[in-house]
Amino acid sequence: MAEEESVVGGAASGGPTSGRRTLGRRRRLVPYGLLSPGGGYLVVFFLLPLVLMIYTSLQSGGLLSGGFSFTWDWRNYSSVLSRYEAHFIRSIAYSLIVTFVALLLAYPMTYWIAFYGGKWKSSLLLMILMPFFVSFVIRTLQWKFILGDNGPVLGTLKGFGLLPDDFRVLATAVAVVAGITYNFLPFTALPLYVALERIDKALVEAAKDLYASRWQAFRKVVWPLSLPGVFAAFLLTFVPATGDYVNAALLGGPGTRMIGNIIQDKFLTENNYPEAAALSVILMIAMVILASVYARILGTEEATRAAAAV
Amino acid sequence: MDDRQYRIGDRRMNEIMRRRLTRRSMLKGAGMGVAGFSLASFLAACGGDGNGTGGGGGNGGATGATGATGAVPSGFDIAEIYAGEPGSSVNFANWPFYLDQSKDETGQVYNPSLALFKEQTGIDVNYEDVINSNEEFFGRLRPVLEAGDSTGWDIIVITNGRIFTALALNEWVYPLDPSRRPNFDANAASWAKDPFYDPGNTYGMAWQSGITGIGYNSDLTNGPITKLDDLANPDKVGQGMVFMLTYDMPDFVMINLGIDPKTSGPDEWKEAAAWLQMQRDSGTVRTYGGNEYLQELQNGNLSACMAWSGDVLYSNIWLLYDTLEFVFPEDGALLWIDNMMIPAGAENPVGAMQVMDFYYDPEVATMVTEWVLYMSPVTATRELILRDADTAEEEGARGRANKLRATADSPYLYPDEEFLSRTSFGRALETDEEAAEWDAIFLPISQG
Repeated sequence: MAEEESVVGGAASGGPTSGRRTLGRRRRLVPYGLLSPGGGYLVVFFLLPLVLMIYTSLQSGGLLSGGFSFTWDWRNYSSVLSRYEAHFIRSIAYSLIVTFVALLLAYPMTYWIAFYGGKWKSSLLLMILMPFFVSFVIRTLQWKFILGDNGPVLGTLKGFGLLPDDFRVLATAVAVVAGITYNFLPFTALPLYVALERIDKALVEAAKDLYASRWQAFRKVVWPLSLPGVFAAFLLTFVPATGDYVNAALLGGPGTRMIGNIIQDKFLTENNYPEAAALSVILMIAMVILASVYARILGTEEATRAAAAV
Repeated sequence: MDDRQYRIGDRRMNEIMRRRLTRRSMLKGAGMGVAGFSLASFLAACGGDGNGTGGGGGNGGATGATGATGAVPSGFDIAEIYAGEPGSSVNFANWPFYLDQSKDETGQVYNPSLALFKEQTGIDVNYEDVINSNEEFFGRLRPVLEAGDSTGWDIIVITNGRIFTALALNEWVYPLDPSRRPNFDANAASWAKDPFYDPGNTYGMAWQSGITGIGYNSDLTNGPITKLDDLANPDKVGQGMVFMLTYDMPDFVMINLGIDPKTSGPDEWKEAAAWLQMQRDSGTVRTYGGNEYLQELQNGNLSACMAWSGDVLYSNIWLLYDTLEFVFPEDGALLWIDNMMIPAGAENPVGAMQVMDFYYDPEVATMVTEWVLYMSPVTATRELILRDADTAEEEGARGRANKLRATADSPYLYPDEEFLSRTSFGRALETDEEAAEWDAIFLPISQG
């Protein structure tokens, strides 16, 4: 961003001679030229669908009466909000737990890789990324097998009499949260690693030279410098985890359905497109609000740096 | 016929078939949902006045549309749609693993019945198993159909239910030409002819059909499971060990409570919902969903579940899972039918009708049934399967002969009238308001 601004600024302060003006204009166009492929992509594949989604969310009608038509039907919003409030709250609660657990797991891990990984850094990082090489759904299905009531884990523990026979993990909230955490761990780990990797190790040594304890050095030097990574990790984990539906569908049971499952049901099996769209819009707005509150608390500067880090 | 020997004789092939089945059950999950869900408004013609409009559909007259009924809508002229010669190819969209398959000498997978069709007619059938769920498939076609364009398909397979109804209601499928289905007229089972949701088979001809009943793992239950109430009894099925098919369960429960879903209203729906809530409160339910229950049942994660006949039968007869049982519940079971339809704008409706009728040739239908193990709309297939069993016996393929006999003897493939009388189709919701009310009653149970 900063570079683009300086390019534009440079062009604006260019001299008045015609030759330079042409050059200036061309230079002024460069950033737009650079932005246009991405911008065009976003307009077609983000902005347009977004507008369509909002448009759909205000429709009424039904499949059996000849389809849906646009009627400014705001009731879609109030109706889904009152009916699915619990699912929104549940999704956000699950997602918060997921994000914190993932941060707790990923921070020490990436910290160690960044500071002590040495020549193994990339291999270790690759190991974190390994799950990405397997389809999301297959990975989650494997969990069903691993955590099965008589599967390798629970079956063994039950065999040793360490667990009661009717103990189970699947079809509980624990399984859903654990599944999401596992599936989103790379999203948490990568930005953290990038931020920690960039920290100048000499700063830590300098802190120690100034008689900081290891803990103080971490708290006063490493932690603040890694905050952009934490911010990015939080966003990259929290936002998609809230809308996740695969884990709840495959690992959950009664009472663990998340808002993503409801949206999927509405869209694919109930064919209730307006309500599905209304739920999506609400979810999006909620996420934007939560993310901006979060950015405000952490400071916009951190946010920008976090964005840059990613 | 080598192919079938290959399939049955070889243990590894059985293993492959098991995987195929598992996947099919997964994919069918969503689809069967529709059947039971029956957000389907089955046209005004269903239920009471089905006969009145059914006759109209039978003659293929292009007139006489009476709003949302099974009669041919005025927008279509059958003579015009089916004019001329068949095109050189037919595009056929079906569900995965729903057609006989074999391997040729080079190991290439092909469909013997389609090869036979090509041999007889010279028409190429471009068969693709792209339908994973009625809703999803319909969702992809809808914008095209709405715009009045061709979907690219000449045949699609849709379960009786909401999508079937929506397609018919909105004139998004062509009415079929009754003069172009001699095999169907001669061989179709009684249940495949003139079904209540499609009087006179105006829009669809059955591909296969099946039953939603109860499957259980006798290792994990306390005695045999025989009725619906067992699924809400922790002493019988344990805590958190029961799987329920979300979209089949309202109708399934109603049937078992002695309510005919077809004539049910909000009061009866609430009664079924109360049972479902009671079941949920009893703590027996593990998940509400639509797929892979079979794998879960095999893994021992489920003691009992709502299940589709073909899936459990296959495990039992062909894969020899002898602890897995399929039960026709004491008080009834849910019936559904998958139908071949011709989407509006299809480029080769004449060829499509040829293909559809071809599968009502008993020999051809047998090829399919021996492979898919669902209920064939051609009853004569039973004798032919027994004949193949004898042939297998003569050839020394004892195991295969036994399996074919078990297949032919299964009441789930060849139900008698008494059996069918204990099944019922799902509720036919007729308006969006009704559908909304239905949703409001049943969805909170599975979604809560």
